[in-house]
Amino acid sequence: MTKNNDRNAVVRDCLLSLLLPGLGHIVRGWWRKGLLFWLFLAAMGGTLYLAVLRGRLAWLAGPSEYWFSTTMLFLFFAILWLWAFFDLRRSIRASDEKSFVQGYWQIVSRRFSKDPKGLVGLGIIAIVCYVAIFAPFFAHGNALKMDLVNFLAPPSAQHPLGLDNFGRDVLDRIIFGTRVALGIGGVATLLNMFFGGFLGLIGGYFRGVPDAVIMRILEIVNSIPFLVLVLLIVSLWGAGITTLIVVLGIFGLQPARIIRSEVLSVREEDYILAARAVGAPTLRIILRHVLPNAIASLLVVTTMTIGVNIIVVAGLSFLGFGVRPPMPSWGAMLQEAQEFMRSAWWMAVYPGLCIIITVFGFNILGDSLRDVLDPRLK
Amino acid sequence: MFGYMVRRVLQMAVVLFGLTLLLFVLLKTMPGDPARIMAGLGATPESIEVLRHRLGLYDPLYVQYWRLISGLVNGQLQAMTYHKPVWTVIMERLPATVELGVAAVILALFVSIPAGLLSAIYRNSPLDYVVTTAALMGISIPVFWFALMLMMVFGVILHVLPVSGRGETLFGWSFLTVDGLRHLIIPSVALSSVLMALNARLTRASMLEVMRQEYIDTARAKGLRERVVLIKHAFRNALAPVVTNIGLQVGAIFAGAVLTETTTAWPGIGRLIYDSILRRDQSVVFGLALFMGACYMISYLVVDLLYAYIDPRITYD
Repeated sequence: MTKNNDRNAVVRDCLLSLLLPGLGHIVRGWWRKGLLFWLFLAAMGGTLYLAVLRGRLAWLAGPSEYWFSTTMLFLFFAILWLWAFFDLRRSIRASDEKSFVQGYWQIVSRRFSKDPKGLVGLGIIAIVCYVAIFAPFFAHGNALKMDLVNFLAPPSAQHPLGLDNFGRDVLDRIIFGTRVALGIGGVATLLNMFFGGFLGLIGGYFRGVPDAVIMRILEIVNSIPFLVLVLLIVSLWGAGITTLIVVLGIFGLQPARIIRSEVLSVREEDYILAARAVGAPTLRIILRHVLPNAIASLLVVTTMTIGVNIIVVAGLSFLGFGVRPPMPSWGAMLQEAQEFMRSAWWMAVYPGLCIIITVFGFNILGDSLRDVLDPRLK
Repeated sequence: MFGYMVRRVLQMAVVLFGLTLLLFVLLKTMPGDPARIMAGLGATPESIEVLRHRLGLYDPLYVQYWRLISGLVNGQLQAMTYHKPVWTVIMERLPATVELGVAAVILALFVSIPAGLLSAIYRNSPLDYVVTTAALMGISIPVFWFALMLMMVFGVILHVLPVSGRGETLFGWSFLTVDGLRHLIIPSVALSSVLMALNARLTRASMLEVMRQEYIDTARAKGLRERVVLIKHAFRNALAPVVTNIGLQVGAIFAGAVLTETTTAWPGIGRLIYDSILRRDQSVVFGLALFMGACYMISYLVVDLLYAYIDPRITYD
């Protein structure tokens, strides 16, 4: 045991960490991690300040939209404190033992932290998620408040991104739009991965007749452009968030192909043969041996699919078949902007930029994950 | 090879049949009475009833399905809102989309192949980063927003290009007239943005893959000049997957066409299917969706066969 790791020093540093997350790390000389904790702390402190300043810190009272954000804010603070504490303890212990063996995920995380592409993507996504969760704290008013006197006012100090044709603040609508984009994109992608993963696993693992049937179904669904199919179905079932999520979730079967091809190669591995030889039941083989080894490509596909879904939802809303008008969604904002192209450029430019940045974040993260998770590139 | 072709065509027939079933089921669940839409606003209940009988809406479903399919095959199926056969409506609009798509593909190849090539050759250089980032950006840009921006910048602010529409046409093609060509620029550039990005990434990946092969080392070892190695040995082999992949992008082109054509008022089949969905014109929607599906499947088949033709190492069976 080194001098730095005697009991008193450890207790002191852990107490410091409880006092202020990151302090313990810095005392021990882990500057990067400690400063990262301070960065998070500063961001959340700023959010808390904004919330208090605008009188939106609601606790069991006030509009329900403030509730969620308030709860999340305090939850985030709690997580930050605990995380700093436990991370410090774990790091101290790890510095004691000399381990030269690295697991797959350790290698991956080390490679990821050196890849600027992935970090940029992760940063963008983190910021967008943060804005979505704390939308009511960041927005000036709310997304629906109209100012019918100053409609179509250009960007000014008070309204940095201008007002739209109903006098609604474009920035506020963009801020609340993050919730719609990420919510629909995220939930639809979960459904995609569930259905697509299921079909891909079944087809890839069992091959033969089930595979042929599944592949024909995929071909049928894939033969019409995805946007046209979704457009058609949404126009039949009526627009709305639930319909959008269900339709995107069920018919977005692109992931199934990729998962299938991944499973096809995994099932030929020797360890699957070994598991089968031992007499493991099929379900166990699929869940314990095939799935974890296909997780890398699942992760990449999930990230990319979120981006695709956000773009498709924006396209549908732009065509008038997605999110219904009063609700602030980036695609619907662009649809409204089309009419005022000649007089109000700010209505068209900013929502589009937000779509690009968000989708770009997911795409670049997916791209980086693909490189990082590739086990061949050690 | 012949056996493979027969098998593929049979598979395609099964998928096409499944597609018609899927579309038919979807259309039958469509709310709204097609007879009422066809009859127009001032129609009496009696005339709507007569129309319902004439359209055969009371027949069993399989009869209705058969009528739809046979009508499409022999070209007799009438569009509900255009008072013309469906095929006529589609064929009138098809040239606009064909020229839009072809222009976009040509534009995309002219930009993306050199870009992908250079970024593969100068791997990990600043140029490579610029190209890969731009390509990632390209797949992140919504086509309709890009079209909107082009319209705003070049049409509204700079007044150098017409904002929307197709302009003059000659024999139904607008690229034959100067005015039509100017109208074509904005939609085709917008549509090609996605294709550019996809193909640049593809070219780069394919080029890198080829440059790993041993025959490249052999060519270098022979003492060939680097340019000869890159162009004659690497690039020519890397090009095959890129060119054949255009066939697989037919779906992306159609989807992009729906958005671009609606944004720029380009009267092609993308706009037609959007309008028909709005008007609840079931026969046009059915015919057009089937048409797009068939185009996609045929191009897929052609790509597969082309692979075998270009690359003699690939044999099917």
